[in-house]
Amino acid sequence: MEVLQRLNLLGCIQCGVCTGSCPISLKSGFNVRKLVRETLLYKNLPEHEEDVIWGCTTCSTCEVRCPREIKPFELVVDIRSMLVEEGVVPPTIRDALESVYKHGNPWGRVRGKRSEWAEGLNVKQASEGEKISLLYFVGCTPAYDNRIQNVARALIKIFEKTGTDFRTLGNNENCCGSEVYGIGEKGLFELLVEENLNLFNRYDIKLMVTTSPHCYNIFKNKYNGLKFEVQHYTQYIAKMIEKGKLKFSKKREETVTYHDPCFLGKKNGIYEEPRLVIENIPGVKFVEMERSKSQSLCCEGGGGRMWFDFSGERLSEVRVKEAVQTGASILLTSCPFCLLNLEDAVKTTGMEETIKIMDIAEFIAEVF
Amino acid sequence: MNIIVCVKHVPDTAEAEVVIDNSGKDIKKENLVFDINEWDNYALEEALLLKEKHGGMVTVLTVGSEAANETLRKCLAKGADEAFRLDDEAFKRSDGYVIAKILYSAIKNMKYDLILTGVQASDDGYAQVGVTLAEMLGIQHASMVKKVEVKNGFVRVHRELEGGLEEVVEVKLPAVLTIQTGINEPRYVSIAGIRRAARKEIKVLGLAELGLKKEEVGEAGSPTRLERLFVPEATKKTEILTGDPSTVATKLSEILKEKGVLG
Repeated sequence: MEVLQRLNLLGCIQCGVCTGSCPISLKSGFNVRKLVRETLLYKNLPEHEEDVIWGCTTCSTCEVRCPREIKPFELVVDIRSMLVEEGVVPPTIRDALESVYKHGNPWGRVRGKRSEWAEGLNVKQASEGEKISLLYFVGCTPAYDNRIQNVARALIKIFEKTGTDFRTLGNNENCCGSEVYGIGEKGLFELLVEENLNLFNRYDIKLMVTTSPHCYNIFKNKYNGLKFEVQHYTQYIAKMIEKGKLKFSKKREETVTYHDPCFLGKKNGIYEEPRLVIENIPGVKFVEMERSKSQSLCCEGGGGRMWFDFSGERLSEVRVKEAVQTGASILLTSCPFCLLNLEDAVKTTGMEETIKIMDIAEFIAEVF
Repeated sequence: MNIIVCVKHVPDTAEAEVVIDNSGKDIKKENLVFDINEWDNYALEEALLLKEKHGGMVTVLTVGSEAANETLRKCLAKGADEAFRLDDEAFKRSDGYVIAKILYSAIKNMKYDLILTGVQASDDGYAQVGVTLAEMLGIQHASMVKKVEVKNGFVRVHRELEGGLEEVVEVKLPAVLTIQTGINEPRYVSIAGIRRAARKEIKVLGLAELGLKKEEVGEAGSPTRLERLFVPEATKKTEILTGDPSTVATKLSEILKEKGVLG
């Protein structure tokens, strides 16, 4: 069975660390160790409870802790693939996938409005064959979501402040396929990879910077044949600070903490750059949450979960409570999905007066 | 149980900006994304569910140009057994009556127990084809169907009425049912599935194969004629309410009462 080799499942010692550390197992019957065991036993993708299989956020906690360097969540993606082929997909996820296929974004929005967020800003669209020192890959959620558009606009301010010459793909920008992959729609994912590589090849790109860790992760780790470097914006800003190109004129007397997005931290080990950026802001007192870096708790935004609600206490609510315990007045993050989920959690836990959620980019744009 | 499903390939105009073309009788379609008409998607799903339960064949039909193959392929990928595209230059600008006639010409020689159509199409919204087709075939119909149960020689269907009412009727087979959205949860079809379905045959039938005459179809054969399309002038009244939330809420509820929105 091909999956046994590809995912190295034969190396599994059934220690159960994966399930023991899984944030979704904490609140449901989801048991990834058992899924691995059943696959090994029956040499077939296992039966599963319908809803539970869509609970996994592909956050990589299981991967980070596995002593055998297996990625158990990838088996979940494979099981989902089987369901996708059978057409057995929760309706809300179905709608997101159909929207990606038709409109190039999972939010059901038309392509013609993809760059509306940049109206009134000095944002230039790449032209055919152009040599581009920095391509800003906005991403679907920052392009269309009213709240997250603010993050994209803040990044434009930062690019301007650092004298960065950048281009975007305008309405030609397409879904990166990160969530499509996590949902298990591998055919659609391959189609997006093909379309995007063709699109990128129309320009001479040196560096791509993404708003979202999800776009960053998928481009970096699942696209073969990218001819340029990809960075998450926190990496880019950290470099600008190191080079002395980004200086803060204002002081901000504030205690802040930071939530590591799984797709940036656990999947890519980027823990230092966001902290370097935060700690460089004058007046800021940075405090860590008890669980941080590779122990950060998933907000439940990955693996298609932005389009599928799952039972039990929301982990984003748990996370907001953890942030409040640090005494911070602002919880910073650097991912559109984390931002949306954590901000919702602040409202549902009634913590609006206690703590504010902001993206690092937004926070910086306020202290120039 | 053999089921025929009539589907239409329509532009997605929910959020897109719709622009009228130079003829004044159609919209510009270059930048629009097309897909199966939403109602027809539910009709197809109902047919597939009935096939899974009772056996038989599902045949899909559309009147449309080559572009409509995309919708037919999606139907085949979801589990339809056969697909026909009724296409002829002469069919252009046919009204609902003539579309029904074209479908009738293809269906009259087919074997079927049930014909499903969507209640209406999202582009022209005529809601005529299903019931007109039933009349031409000389068989029963039920419109706005929200539930279908197959019995011996008849179907028991729930029809959606105004005010949240549902009517239960028994309809003798064969029959045409026009399917309302929400009757089921249409399945997802993967891109790999659509690609596999690309190998399946789509049969194309034109004027001659359908035994129709030029003057019976298109604008010439249509009892109704589209005069003009236009975007209604936007007339809106904007009022910005100010004050603290409770004042604003009070003002808002007064306005809504005044307009008859709230009782």
